[in-house]
Amino acid sequence: MNPFWSMSTSSSRKRPEIEEKTLPGELKISPPRASIKKQLPSIPKNAVPMTKPASPAPSSQSTNGTHASYGPFYLEYSLLAEFTLVVKQKLPGVYVQPSYRSALMWFGVIFIRHGLYQDGVFKFTVYIPDNYPDGDCPRLVFDLPVFHPLVDPVSGELDVKRAFAKWRRNHNHIWQVLMYARRVFYKIDTTIPLNPEAAVLYEKDIQLFKSKVIDSIKLCSNHLFDQPKIEDPYAISFSPWNPTIHDEAREKMLTQKKKPEDQHCKSMQVSGLSWVKPGSVQPFSKEEKTMPT
Amino acid sequence: MMSSSTSRSNNRQAVSLQGVDPETCMIVFKTHWGQVIKILERHDPLKNTQAKYGAIPPDEASTVQNYVEHMLFLLIEEQAKDAAMGPILEFVVTENIMEKLFLWSLRREFTDETKIEQLKIYEMLVTQSHQPLLHHKPILKPLMMLLSSCSGTSTPAVELELVILLNQLCSILAKDPSILELFFHTSEDQGAANFLIFSLLIPFIHREGTVGQQARDALLFIMSLSAENNVVANHIVENTYFCPVLATGLSGLYSSLPTKLEENGEWHCLLKDDWLLSPALVQFMNSLEFCNAVIQVAHPLIRNQLVNYIYNGFLVPVVAPALHKVTVEEVMTTTAYLDLFLRSVSEPALLQIFLRFILLHQHENVHILDTLTSRINTPFQLCVVSLALFRTLIGLHCEDVMLQLVLRYLIPCNHMMLSQRWAVRERDCYSVSAAKLLALTPVCCSTGITLTVENQAKDYILWTKASSNAVSRIGFCESMCIVKYGRTVDISYLQYLWEAEAIILHCMKDCQVWSAPYDGEDPDPDTFIQTLAEENNKNVEHPMFRLQQRTSSNCSFSQMTPLGEKMQLELEWDDSYDTGISPESDVSSHQPYDDLGTVEKQPPAEPPKHIQEMKKNAIMLVKGSYIEESDFQDDVVVYRLCAQKDAQDNFQEETLSTATESQNAVQSQPIKRSLKNSHPDTNLEDHNRKNSSLPQDVTKEQINQKVVEADPKPDLELKLSPPEENQNSNVRLLSPDSEEFIAQYDKIIKELDSNTTALEEHKLVTFEPISPVEEEEDFENFSVDTPSAESMLSPFGPKEDTLPNHPARSHNAAFTGPFISVVLSKLENMLENSLHVNLLLIGIITQLASYPQPLLRSFLLNTNIVLQPSVRSLYQVLASVKNKIEQFASIQKDFPVLLIQAQQYLLFRADMSDVTSELLTKDNFQHNSSTGKGRNFSEASHTLLQPFLAHKAKRITALPGIPLHVRNAILAAALFPEFLKELAALAQEHSILCYKILDD
Repeated sequence: MNPFWSMSTSSSRKRPEIEEKTLPGELKISPPRASIKKQLPSIPKNAVPMTKPASPAPSSQSTNGTHASYGPFYLEYSLLAEFTLVVKQKLPGVYVQPSYRSALMWFGVIFIRHGLYQDGVFKFTVYIPDNYPDGDCPRLVFDLPVFHPLVDPVSGELDVKRAFAKWRRNHNHIWQVLMYARRVFYKIDTTIPLNPEAAVLYEKDIQLFKSKVIDSIKLCSNHLFDQPKIEDPYAISFSPWNPTIHDEAREKMLTQKKKPEDQHCKSMQVSGLSWVKPGSVQPFSKEEKTMPT
Repeated sequence: MMSSSTSRSNNRQAVSLQGVDPETCMIVFKTHWGQVIKILERHDPLKNTQAKYGAIPPDEASTVQNYVEHMLFLLIEEQAKDAAMGPILEFVVTENIMEKLFLWSLRREFTDETKIEQLKIYEMLVTQSHQPLLHHKPILKPLMMLLSSCSGTSTPAVELELVILLNQLCSILAKDPSILELFFHTSEDQGAANFLIFSLLIPFIHREGTVGQQARDALLFIMSLSAENNVVANHIVENTYFCPVLATGLSGLYSSLPTKLEENGEWHCLLKDDWLLSPALVQFMNSLEFCNAVIQVAHPLIRNQLVNYIYNGFLVPVVAPALHKVTVEEVMTTTAYLDLFLRSVSEPALLQIFLRFILLHQHENVHILDTLTSRINTPFQLCVVSLALFRTLIGLHCEDVMLQLVLRYLIPCNHMMLSQRWAVRERDCYSVSAAKLLALTPVCCSTGITLTVENQAKDYILWTKASSNAVSRIGFCESMCIVKYGRTVDISYLQYLWEAEAIILHCMKDCQVWSAPYDGEDPDPDTFIQTLAEENNKNVEHPMFRLQQRTSSNCSFSQMTPLGEKMQLELEWDDSYDTGISPESDVSSHQPYDDLGTVEKQPPAEPPKHIQEMKKNAIMLVKGSYIEESDFQDDVVVYRLCAQKDAQDNFQEETLSTATESQNAVQSQPIKRSLKNSHPDTNLEDHNRKNSSLPQDVTKEQINQKVVEADPKPDLELKLSPPEENQNSNVRLLSPDSEEFIAQYDKIIKELDSNTTALEEHKLVTFEPISPVEEEEDFENFSVDTPSAESMLSPFGPKEDTLPNHPARSHNAAFTGPFISVVLSKLENMLENSLHVNLLLIGIITQLASYPQPLLRSFLLNTNIVLQPSVRSLYQVLASVKNKIEQFASIQKDFPVLLIQAQQYLLFRADMSDVTSELLTKDNFQHNSSTGKGRNFSEASHTLLQPFLAHKAKRITALPGIPLHVRNAILAAALFPEFLKELAALAQEHSILCYKILDD
């Protein structure tokens, strides 16, 4: 069945360019002075700036200090940094994409390629606490409660806490959570289960466990094409194979291996200056290669 | 006569011969020719013995004229079938009509008018004829005869026609290179120089006006032809003076440029608007543009030759001395020109020699780069212009520039604690550095103009409350709301982020071609010195100069051979250490008036002549101009300049006399002698400057240290510390005595410190060799009111003790290079600097901070990294500025009001300069596009605050309401928070962009 569905957001492994482009794009419309060039704190042209510092409100703001007003930026960039780390990890079969509405919510899907849960396609959502990175560990909730000892049979939440009892900044990263989420399907742990039934069956009646797992996988597959649980432009949604859309995308993915090199060569000629020979630390150490003929 | 006839024939063309029977045309043509030939033969001395030279009756001449006119018209209008000649053309060819006509015009008086007439005939023929004519020798030959008759002296009218015709011929050549061969052969027949049409164009290369432009366009046709044709290329390189004429022409044109530019305190670089106003400059720029275009399209042989001639015939003999002229104005003007040239040149090969000139050329033993760097510290407008030049240089994103300017000092990683090296590549996941930078915003400045979220549309992506329609099973709604309504968020910061992303990505893209990542591992910090030394030994002869010597046979410049030798000499050693010698921002070590070399002559009777000269200049530079400029605020800088100059005259002496008291230092002298002896055949002054100047010893120390610290590497050991017995040239690398020498040095410095507390900070920071006597003297001269800011001790930057337990260690090469040092020390004076200086400084630093190389990024933006105590970090400097601003605000009443005014003023300027920033973009030559090499300079150098650098044309007259004496400070206070935002935004963007380069 694998080749017959595809993700609507085919580029989810890449850094979602769309999101970043839209962010400044939309913002550019909003400030009263849309020009990028003026960078002092924007004064609305008609406003009377003199009144501002005189009024008591701004002074209370200033006591907040400058930190407060930039907090959201730090959080946003921390999360973006996390996301680039995820992209860099290239976890096999794991795809995530931050939501359009909040960088604190990431949509994801895991493909299980072998083992007991082979052919499983599990969609999930990661919720990151807003005091990240100083808060609790992120939560990971499957859209459908997968039959698994560590997955809550009602809420679908994975027991992440057992792996990250205390979330330590600089040491713990979100990609680790995702890696953990993938691993639980290959190496099954039954201690202190969230789903005791699954744990017991796994220990006592592996056959029944297996059939329950297969049922669970089927259930997930059957709901694969459902609308995303959370309405969001960047939510991951699946649709049946549609040659008009997907053939081209697949073609792109398959041919992409060659292209970047070509582009690289081209871009090398287009811009950038260096006459330093590789391995040298002298300027203009490169032999002139001005003799193409 | 003919001119009127051509216009008539043009009119007649409108009538057109369409539908007229070709045979009829042929008959008409033959009849006309029959009439003409009768007259011609009547006057042909060979056919008619009675024919008298020159005596042709006017009526006969005009009859011929009329017939010829008709005939040409018929010839032009003849439509060729297939590839065959039309009957008329065939007749013209077989009867050799064109040659006969040319001889006829010779036989008459060959006046300018006749020449013009003939030139016009051919111009008409080649441009309007329906069939190719130039393939036929009977047409080509008289044409070549005509052309060669036009060479030599001509009147402007003839020249005009000649160039028009040549231009047409070249454009035809470019379209149909098969004719080229014919041109070569035909000229051979004539015994004239090969490729006549090319030689004829050369005299017009630098001509102004349309003639020059057309000639240059014509030459460009040939140039692009040469790219495909080795014969042409070889001919041009070997048999013509094209390249020398072009290059030396630049020198000629340069000499007629204005040596002073109007000064109104607002300009920092020349924009197209400016140079269009100066005809001389326009002419120069046209020629430079032409060089650029030639290099772009021509054959590599031509390109290389031209580039070499420009280097050896223009940059070295003309620009280098001009950069060292006597008056500040002249020097400033040259600097501005150089900046303009750099911004105008787009071809890498041409840019390369400009950069090679700036980075490697030594004028009077001082690298141009060092001279330029030192001028940042001058108090004059020269500083502004120099800063603008550096902004251009850094904006090129050129590895060689960055290597020389900054990176070579960072590669060894000596600027940070050894334990910190791992942190070079670390990325700031949680925006810690950005937060630290923004936290430097002075409290007094945060009351300024900001917007709150409520003022904005309510749907910012990042901070929206989760919309209620989002299906939520687990109630994440609350956690979505990061920002509460009503809380201040600095919206403008988003634009900084956006811009930071753009400039970092742009820079990353450009840096893809760089040879190394500069990440603290590659180039290897531990073998850097070794590599450098090896390369210096190896690269004695540079390819460029090899080639140059080969081509020099054609035209000799006196500079060539000496230059080549000098190059060898210089590459041998000093290049690597020379500029990196001083342990702090000590500009003095590479000032031209650095004549430590006098130690050689004991006693130092007279400094070398050229140094005396430079000293004289420096004195004029400082004293002459300073006294005139009474409103000048940077007394300390002036003071320093003088102090350095004078101190260095005596410093060596001083040092030595002190040294004699200590037996250790006595040892250092023989060492120096041995140094000298080891190179008996080299330039002594040069050598001494390199080897005996104090900072050099510091470098030795560095190496010394290195060898001690590093695991013993056999080859390194071999290279750097040979056995004592044959310690010839290597002694200077590892002299144990240098430690003592430095200790002595420290002692002197310490004494100085106790003497002059007012300048304490400065000295600690910049660590300059100043003798107490000189200092006193100069102090009296210039310290009318020493700015108190200078003496304020910063609670931040660690007041490094210059005399720690291990004197050697304190100096261990913790040095980030003269450029960084100068820029940072200038930045620390932000409150005293003029708005322009500050904007340029900010522009330079943000540009530096946009480079993705981890070495640079970590040094500038990582606030967590622990640097060596003696190294000033950007963060420390900013912290010091913050304190100064806060202190200023506390004593300045009405500070908030003034701040608002300053902010409004800046915004107003930005509005005004929107237009000018566009102009800067267009400053590049249009030719860029064809190879796609065009860099957009405004894009490269555009950082957020730069629009405030309004251009002089859009000058805003006054800053209302802000008292003159606090103007600089208040403007700096208004800029500072924005600068912090810019840096913080860069830091944040780096943290998420740094993997891009690895991924792609």
